[in-house]
Amino acid sequence: MAQTRIELPQGTLDLLILRTLALEPQHGWAISERIQQISSDVLLIQQGSLYPALHRLERRGWIKAKWGTSENNRRAKYYELTKTGRQQLEREKDSWKKLAAAVAQILETA
Amino acid sequence: MFNDLFFRLRSLLRREVVESEADAELRFHFDQQVEKYLKSGMTREGATRRARLEIGGHEQLKEEIREARGVNLIETLFQDIRYGLRILGRTPVISGVAVLSLALGIGANTAIFSLIDTVMLRMLPVEKPGELMQVRIQDAKSPNDEGEPTFTNPLWEELRSRQDFFTSIFAWSQTQFDLAQGGAVHEVNGLFLSGEYFSTLGVRPAAGRLITAADDNRGCPGVAVLSYGFWQDHFGGTQNAVGSTLSLDNHSFSVIGVSAPGFFGLEVGNKFDVAIPVCAAEIFDGPKSRLDRRSWWWLNVAGRSKPGVSTDQWKARLGVVSPEVFTAALPQDWEPKYQQDFLKRLFQTTPAATGTSYLRRQFTQPLRILMGVVGLVLLIACANIASLMLARAAARHKEIAVRKALGASRARLIRQLLTECVLLSTAGALLGILFARWGSSLLVRYISTGDNKVFLDLTFDWRMLSFTAGVAVFTGLLFGVLPAFRSTRVSLTSAMKGSLAVDAESRAKFRPGKWIVASQVALSLVLLVSSGLFLRSLVKLVTLDVGFDRHNVLLVHANLHNAKVPPEQQPAMFEEVESRLGALPGVISASRSVMTPVSNYIWNNFLKVDTPNPPTGDAALAYFNYISPGYFGTMRTPLLAGRNFTDGDTKTAMLVAIVNETLARTFFPKGDALGKYFRVQEEPGKPAPPIQIVGLVKDAKYQSLREQAHATAYFPVAQIPEDSPEQVFELRTAARPSALLPSVQEAVAGVSKAIPLEFHTLAEQVDDSLVQERLLATLSTFFGALALLLAMIGLYGALSYLVAQRQPEFGIRMALGAPRSSILRLVISDVVIVLAGGLAAGTCLALATAGVLEKMLFGLAPHDSLTFLAAIGVLSAVAVVAGYLPARRAMRVDPMVALRYE
Repeated sequence: MAQTRIELPQGTLDLLILRTLALEPQHGWAISERIQQISSDVLLIQQGSLYPALHRLERRGWIKAKWGTSENNRRAKYYELTKTGRQQLEREKDSWKKLAAAVAQILETA
Repeated sequence: MFNDLFFRLRSLLRREVVESEADAELRFHFDQQVEKYLKSGMTREGATRRARLEIGGHEQLKEEIREARGVNLIETLFQDIRYGLRILGRTPVISGVAVLSLALGIGANTAIFSLIDTVMLRMLPVEKPGELMQVRIQDAKSPNDEGEPTFTNPLWEELRSRQDFFTSIFAWSQTQFDLAQGGAVHEVNGLFLSGEYFSTLGVRPAAGRLITAADDNRGCPGVAVLSYGFWQDHFGGTQNAVGSTLSLDNHSFSVIGVSAPGFFGLEVGNKFDVAIPVCAAEIFDGPKSRLDRRSWWWLNVAGRSKPGVSTDQWKARLGVVSPEVFTAALPQDWEPKYQQDFLKRLFQTTPAATGTSYLRRQFTQPLRILMGVVGLVLLIACANIASLMLARAAARHKEIAVRKALGASRARLIRQLLTECVLLSTAGALLGILFARWGSSLLVRYISTGDNKVFLDLTFDWRMLSFTAGVAVFTGLLFGVLPAFRSTRVSLTSAMKGSLAVDAESRAKFRPGKWIVASQVALSLVLLVSSGLFLRSLVKLVTLDVGFDRHNVLLVHANLHNAKVPPEQQPAMFEEVESRLGALPGVISASRSVMTPVSNYIWNNFLKVDTPNPPTGDAALAYFNYISPGYFGTMRTPLLAGRNFTDGDTKTAMLVAIVNETLARTFFPKGDALGKYFRVQEEPGKPAPPIQIVGLVKDAKYQSLREQAHATAYFPVAQIPEDSPEQVFELRTAARPSALLPSVQEAVAGVSKAIPLEFHTLAEQVDDSLVQERLLATLSTFFGALALLLAMIGLYGALSYLVAQRQPEFGIRMALGAPRSSILRLVISDVVIVLAGGLAAGTCLALATAGVLEKMLFGLAPHDSLTFLAAIGVLSAVAVVAGYLPARRAMRVDPMVALRYE
């Protein structure tokens, strides 16, 4: 718990969700667990923002939801990436990389 | 796009499913989290606690999900409307009063606006109205005026033959035609129009054909086109109307067609019934017709502008054409001085997309004032509803607190409260539209006079609808915003705690209520002052000494020209009719004259006297009338000195005149007018003989009641210098003048059945001249009373609420020994503070705005102190009445009952 955690910049949560779902369909809890794990516990996703974000993405048609059975045999809502969602992920990845590179450049040279 | 819509719809329509899904999803997340902590070695209790803390409020999260799914906007709107209706329905009387006062306010605004729209804003229902330009004649002496709109026929013909800057140009003139052949007239609205009129305006026939350029040539036969409305009313809309004949002023015209429905002519406020070509004037006038008269101003001219011609090109062309036209149409018989001025005149154009209108000239200012008045009424109604809403919001204090505690956001609550307000104002607007329909047609009837039936096409258009909708939304927000914001600023702890704490808070909360009532008082005062000013002006006008007695005088207008009586026989026939009318039972005295007072007609000219320093210029202008000897007796205008006319004042006798006091004072300041001579300014080739003053009468109003007395000269009707085929008989009657109509008609028919007769009473003629003043006085009094009623309700409501709120406090005070009178003083001081503040603000506001009314007032200044004091008195009295009941209730508070609440 002693690690420092970073607040997610505005808009990046959507990107992370899309990226996580690009591997395989997941339910909400698994998505948050996964992001936390991969980021080595640096990023902690608040439930308060995760679920509204999932429903917002669903409304936009980038992900779709399906009820399935979890590992421990319970009904869970699984989200998967749609075709437009995949395109959106590519676009957001690109712009994120550009942004990160630009920020890095400024930090190093300026 | 579709995906989004579908998604929202699913969320909305399958609400339960979606809700339970969200529940299940969050529940699953929670269980997973608990399980995770259990695995890491926590106790179940610890794991559950931690997971719950992390997730936060279940309901709040669901609300956010709903928001994310985009359901909320639509869903909550329906929810709010349903809930709002239920809340409003729970207090039907209060809601009813609110809707009714809004409906009155909005209805009044819509009614006045619909008149403004039809009279001032609406485009003519013709092809491309924006291209229409009216041609006016500008005097070189006053280049900034917009110019006179009337033309002589020679001017029109010369302009038409030279114009190349309009695609086409046309002329028209409004008139009245008598359909009856002798006896009581049956007047219809006539229109002279040039052959290009219908084609330029793009009007199509509904039957037969319309007048074209081929119908408008010198010596043309009498053809007529009917308006659609007249065709329906008079001919029942039958096809055989085309080809039938119509008698206009005793001349026969054949009907060639009917114009399309929806076209009423170019004059807003009027509609034409029968249109005939300009050339047909010859049929009425005979060989010396107005077609060749260079000083007979009767036509209006307009044209359709050519696309692509710039204003500068336009002006340049008019500058070239004007001198040519004015030279060609110069009146030969004018004095050289006036001819020079005539030649310097210039044509100019003004946009005519909205048509022409005497109504616009006459009623623009009153309508603007009334718009302001009804605007204030609406504000007062809004203030009433705002304080109602505040009171109700305070009563719903707990409900709001509970809803907030359960997770409703403030924005959400405000939206709910505003929805209720918009519901109220929408209901008010719908009902208001009904009031407006009824009110505006009532208004049109009100401004119509005996001689002038006002016609306005009041069909509802988009402009009126958007105005009403705008007003509804605006008022809803106006009275809703303050209460909504204040009442949602709830401190949860104090709300939960209960009564006394709430009371302390809501008393502070009541402060805006006082402000609202004070501003109602202020606005009501402004309305009361303006209605007081208008009312007093009207009373002053009505009770003015006009110099004649208007009551029980029947005016009989006879036209011997239309009866086709040769000019040389006319004087004898008029004489004969006068003596027969004078002998009728019920007639006290009879007379005849060329002019009658306040009739819209004037006859004036300059006088010349031989005294040293005679008046010059406009000061030398005098107003004329030609009368029979019985005139002053019948009109009851006192003869102050000298003698009356007698039968001896014949055409061949010495020329004599009776003058009024003003004329005597202006031309003979030494007071020796009697026996002196004056001359009327001569026309070329017509020497003006001297006229001796033989009598002096009291001043009497000539043209309008508002005028300063004009210098007026009366001459014997026998000595009239030109033909006078139209004269008016005045009959002073013993009883109601209208009872005499049959016997008058019979008596005139005994002389000739062909004489057309038109009847008025003098009182009605004078009343009709006051239509503006009466309109303003009546409506502003009505709205002033309405405002007073609303303010009274507002004050009563606000005070009752205040007293109810402070009941426990009063109870405690009494229990501690405060006398009832001190409780009364507490309430009264509230009333006094609110009233004094409102009156002070209202007085300032009224003083600042009353100047606008100055032109409409008569005989008193806009800051008339008596009116102000009266208004303040009335308002204070009403406030005392409104405050009395709540104050009495406060005094009767039973300390025991009040304390038990605690």
